[in-house]
Amino acid sequence: MAVMTYIDAINSALREEMARDDHVFIIGEDVGKMGGAFKATKGLQEEFGVERVIDSPLAEGVIISSSIGAAMEGMRPVAEIQFADFITPAMDAITQQAAKLRYRSAGTQTCPLTVRVCYGGGVSGGLYHSQTNTSWFIHTPGLIVVAPSTPHDAKGLLKSAIRDDNPVMFFEHKKLYRSVKEEVPEGDYTLPLLKASIARPGKEVTAVSYGYTLQLTLQAAEKIKQQFGAEVEVIDLRTLAPLDKDTVLESVARTSRAVIIHEDNRTLGVGAEIAALIAEEAFDCLDAPIIRVTAPDIPAIPFAPPLEEFYMPSTEKIVTALEQVLRY
Amino acid sequence: MATQIEVPERLTFPSNCETVSADMRIPEPSLDAALLRRLYSYMLKCRTVEERIRNQFRQGRFSGNYFAAVGQEATEVGVTIDLLPEDTIAPSHRNFITHIMKGTPLNLLFAQIYGRNTSPDRGRSSPAHCGYAALNIITPASTIAAQLNIGTGIALAYKMKRVPNVVVALSGEGSTSLGLWHEAINFAAVHKLPMLVVIENNGWAESVPVALQTAVADISTKALGYGIPGATVDGNDVVAVYRAAQEGILRAREGKGPTLLECKTYRWYGHSEIDPAKYRDPAEVHEWKRRDPIPRMEAYLDQRKLWTDEWKQELLAGFEKEIEEAIAFAEASAFPEAEEALDHVFSFSIRDRELHRKTWEPVLDQRR
Ligand SMILES: Cc1ncc(C[n+]2csc(CCOP(=O)(O)OP(=O)(O)O)c2C)c(N)n1
Ligand SMILES: [Mg+2]
Repeated sequence: MAVMTYIDAINSALREEMARDDHVFIIGEDVGKMGGAFKATKGLQEEFGVERVIDSPLAEGVIISSSIGAAMEGMRPVAEIQFADFITPAMDAITQQAAKLRYRSAGTQTCPLTVRVCYGGGVSGGLYHSQTNTSWFIHTPGLIVVAPSTPHDAKGLLKSAIRDDNPVMFFEHKKLYRSVKEEVPEGDYTLPLLKASIARPGKEVTAVSYGYTLQLTLQAAEKIKQQFGAEVEVIDLRTLAPLDKDTVLESVARTSRAVIIHEDNRTLGVGAEIAALIAEEAFDCLDAPIIRVTAPDIPAIPFAPPLEEFYMPSTEKIVTALEQVLRY
Repeated sequence: MATQIEVPERLTFPSNCETVSADMRIPEPSLDAALLRRLYSYMLKCRTVEERIRNQFRQGRFSGNYFAAVGQEATEVGVTIDLLPEDTIAPSHRNFITHIMKGTPLNLLFAQIYGRNTSPDRGRSSPAHCGYAALNIITPASTIAAQLNIGTGIALAYKMKRVPNVVVALSGEGSTSLGLWHEAINFAAVHKLPMLVVIENNGWAESVPVALQTAVADISTKALGYGIPGATVDGNDVVAVYRAAQEGILRAREGKGPTLLECKTYRWYGHSEIDPAKYRDPAEVHEWKRRDPIPRMEAYLDQRKLWTDEWKQELLAGFEKEIEEAIAFAEASAFPEAEEALDHVFSFSIRDRELHRKTWEPVLDQRR
């Protein structure tokens, strides 16, 4: 075990996977000599050479489409999208090609690629360096969408993503990169890709989240316990698509209350899907309305601190929502 | 006028666009007789197959649509003949017949047209969009320039694995206007990827003429901006296309990087089978039909005593027989089962959870 930051965990997963399998290569903007905008690929070009850590042209479309082709030909590309805000030039490649290739070829042509996407706000990044757009990809069947919330999960899930035979969108919250540290096994381990985890067991209300807001939700759960003595069960989705429905529903069947928290916009966010799912399959289990704590439906995160604060879910906002369903 | 442009490494493509309207002569090639005859017979086979497909569509034997390359056979054949099984074709909507040169059985192609469960994609893609994994033909999306883009990655993998294979990507002149096209060519050029990028300039993108697509006279001149060789050839001269394509393919196999090859040609019919193409001047169509690549090659072979009408009839009879068998195979094949729509979304099955909604009961003993 070693104490690692989230970014260390990503770097260590990449290094170990590249050493394990020489089909694994990295492609993206500034990933080579510079080691990536956030240093996720630091030292890897030195270690594995320019052929396996490719500084791409500034062209997200072909970063992804070349990864798709290489994956079809047996390679295991790990593409980096420097900021989720700039993923749009690659939308055709991701949603029309990567997501549909297996389907349109009836399983005869496939592209096992991993797309690492740096996302998220709360860092004064402004409109174009803060976005959370996971919903676009959740809404695209054929993609596995992963968004780990801890260093331990980040390493284990990234390794699984690289080894998985499906295209995986791997969302890394930039605020988590250096803000959380924990013990992470040094050697090889993987985590199952399609499984949510129970980050904190409880029996009075289920709080569902992922990524950075999962950390906020854990803080909120602790406050609720201290203030009200109530036990919040916190579910870390880990994978947003396809969703581990059963872990969520099984929890709601026990707690009878649900709050969903995410940093993506409210409308058609994963919270909307989970709320609908609970209504469809676990309606009789509910003792209170479902509440969502999400970003508002505004185009992006504005820069000035009060504006950004207004946008972001916070521990206080989550506590208020939990309190509301508990008092219902 | 075609332009032979200055490039870092100059090619010697026989650009004979100028000669087309003059006497439509195929230039003296140093190709062996058997190859010349094969180029011809492939063109004839492509034409026969596509005219039959069009006929089947008009008779309502299959639904959807079809994008015929009739009139463009010299290009389709010239750039894809004699590829290795491991080489990749990155096709667009109008390149269904490239399967014939690569060797996909006609049975599978007609099953594709008919959307049957014996087709390579079990009835998923629309008729003209056909891939074949066994022979490295990318199952195409309709998105223009998509396969060219994916092709860069396949070429990158060939380079990384140090295998001498190539990717031949085909798309129309319309594709060159997209940002996607630029990204792909630029990336292939920077990494010297083993690719032949073929632009089939047939003058029209649906109803939009090439003059509204680009301000350059020859699309191959765009190669200059990427630092790669480019050439424009008469796309209705199968020998010219073949020689130019071979030069590009050889460069690619030798690790010298991609080549941009523009083939000027013409589609005889509408954009698809449901397009009467009223936007075109009939005189233009007439003029291009006069440049039909098949009779031109016939005349050329005839001069060299390599062609007889008897041989042609023999070829046609063989093609017809093969087509009849393929249609019979397709029509005898079943459609896929409805629930197969749920398959091949991921490497694992989603059928169970999609088909069966669960109901959760409250677990009462744990309540507050
Ligand atoms: C990105 C994209 N935009 C629009 C279309 C619709 N569309 C299909 S074919 C076509 C014209 C293509 O023209 P060209 O590239 O010259 O090829 P051709 O049909 O002449 O072979 C259009 C507009 C599409 N398939 N993809
Ligand atoms: Mg065209």
